[in-house]
Amino acid sequence: MSTVPAPALSASTHAAPDQAATLICLPTLTGEAFDATLDHLRRAFPLQPIIVATPDPVPTRSSSDESQIRILNYTSSSSPHGAWVPTAADYLNAWTLAREHHPQAVLLLGAEAASVSPDTLRRLVSGVFDQQDLVLPRYPVGPRDALVNSAILYPLTRALFSQHVRFPLPIDAALSPRMAERLATTAQRLTSTNQADAFVWPVAEAAVAGFSVRDVAGDQRTLPLPGAIDLNSLLSNVAGSLFADIEARASFWQRARLATTAPRVPTYATRSTAADANPLDLAPMIDSFRNAYTNLRELWSLVLPPNSLLNLKKLSLTPPETFRMPDALWARTVYDFVLAYRLRTINRTHLLGAMTPLYLAWVASHLRMVDGDATLAEQHIEAVATAFESDKPYLVARWRWPDRFNP
Amino acid sequence: MGQQITFALRQSVHRVLVLLVNFLPGLVALLLAVIVLAAIGALLAMVVRKVLTAMRFDERIATRQTPGALTNVSEWSPANSPTLLLARVTLWICVLSGLALGISAFNASFSDTGTLSLVFLPYLTHIVGAVLLLIGGTLLARFLARSVLIGAVNAQLQYARFLSLGVKWLVLVLTGAMALDHLQIGGSIVELAFGILFGGIVLTLALAIGLGSRDLVTRSIEKTIDKPSSPLGPDLTPPLRSEPPQPTLRHF
Repeated sequence: MSTVPAPALSASTHAAPDQAATLICLPTLTGEAFDATLDHLRRAFPLQPIIVATPDPVPTRSSSDESQIRILNYTSSSSPHGAWVPTAADYLNAWTLAREHHPQAVLLLGAEAASVSPDTLRRLVSGVFDQQDLVLPRYPVGPRDALVNSAILYPLTRALFSQHVRFPLPIDAALSPRMAERLATTAQRLTSTNQADAFVWPVAEAAVAGFSVRDVAGDQRTLPLPGAIDLNSLLSNVAGSLFADIEARASFWQRARLATTAPRVPTYATRSTAADANPLDLAPMIDSFRNAYTNLRELWSLVLPPNSLLNLKKLSLTPPETFRMPDALWARTVYDFVLAYRLRTINRTHLLGAMTPLYLAWVASHLRMVDGDATLAEQHIEAVATAFESDKPYLVARWRWPDRFNP
Repeated sequence: MGQQITFALRQSVHRVLVLLVNFLPGLVALLLAVIVLAAIGALLAMVVRKVLTAMRFDERIATRQTPGALTNVSEWSPANSPTLLLARVTLWICVLSGLALGISAFNASFSDTGTLSLVFLPYLTHIVGAVLLLIGGTLLARFLARSVLIGAVNAQLQYARFLSLGVKWLVLVLTGAMALDHLQIGGSIVELAFGILFGGIVLTLALAIGLGSRDLVTRSIEKTIDKPSSPLGPDLTPPLRSEPPQPTLRHF
């Protein structure tokens, strides 16, 4: 990919007539959803010329009616199988369009884009105009939502890359041109090896490049659902992709002192629904963990140190009323799985499959503790992330000296 | 009578000594070829390693590869180092060349003695084939056993370990039978024994799973009737609008 100098960022929202300030890349949408998205964009950027790129056929009336909105049609190289977050092909498409039109900000919207409010759209783009390279939304979620993100993605990203971004695998993202280019370079490597629908980790990419990152509060949005139903395969895909990314960036996060972003004051972007107040039956998840402890103990012993195994044994004997996985144990367990992934202690597919019951144990413990309270849930997630940060020296030490004895 | 016995014994000893005299040079040639080529291989491997390290070969490869991709050479190289992989390939090519050279020399030294060479050499290759079969079968059995174990545990099957063990022994029995068949040992007895063992294991597994799953199937049917959405699974369907709202989990 050729390197194009990044246009200078400006706080101005006005651009030359032939140069729009913002490029908005949409996913495949239905006709109504497309119209609703255009309406939101019109309200979000009333005076600003914008380019809207869509992979769907452009409705003729839309292109003639809008003065400040230019609608483009582009050929999406990704298969329309309904990835719930932008994939490598989406980031590559965004940069291809940005290279042609030289916008000051690129806004990449994921599935269900019609539900993103005008305020959220404005906040995302404003972040880029405020000299940020990557701006990600922090949508309100319930205490029983986005659990993989809360258990693994957020704590790991925060501990290793020192970025306090609540959703490191974003549904929507606003990018500066240089950030879009950087992500496209990574995406290019993936698409060239026939992995167009692979995940890209923009927060880690920005951290390594030394680019500025910010997450902004977003309004309520319909969170898209993954295409695959099976939790095991989904968890394997997402965790495997993150572990591979961590392995590839080991030289960065092993540094003793990273240029950390200031930890944000936790703002609880939460929402509670009537369903959250209803008690959830946690027994199947706890039973699943106990069954796994009986059957997978030997396999886990290849990955986890004896101390962790002992704690898991105690946990498996705990009655459901007091079932609680300590944050330190969960952090240590995830780190040991990251290490085993790197060392190929066992086959990687087996490794990630063996992690599912442990994750379910964490979910059961978390849900029992927060009891449907969204604020409590956020506090616990912050505590888990802090436990990951505290235990980072363990990961660094064992990454460098894997054979060292670990009780 | 005694003279005849002595003569017969002398003749026999003579024949064995002649055979050994014919056999030993071939064996020495085989060993020598393997040792010399292995030494050359080790030397070449060292040179390859030093040259590639000086060229920063690993770093160059790493910049052109995608982490986690199947096509990534570093992913399946020993210690994630393509340099080490190439060095080891060089060494083993030399060792195998030495083995081929040695067997050829062994064969040449036996060409005039006929029958032993005709029987022994093909059997040597059969032994190598059988050993490879056993190694491959054992690895496959372990891989499949773990796959089944993890899959069954994640499907919440109580008899996961039993199922995994059954699969492991199925593959091991199949491998053993194939190795024996390859060595042409046992003939029809092996086939018969294999059929009985294989069928026995399959029947045991079927009975155990069938009988053991009764409760599971009953629970599953009850769950389907009583509760359309399970709290354990990734409830990826939009929440129902009916009253009262059902508690749902979203893992993603």
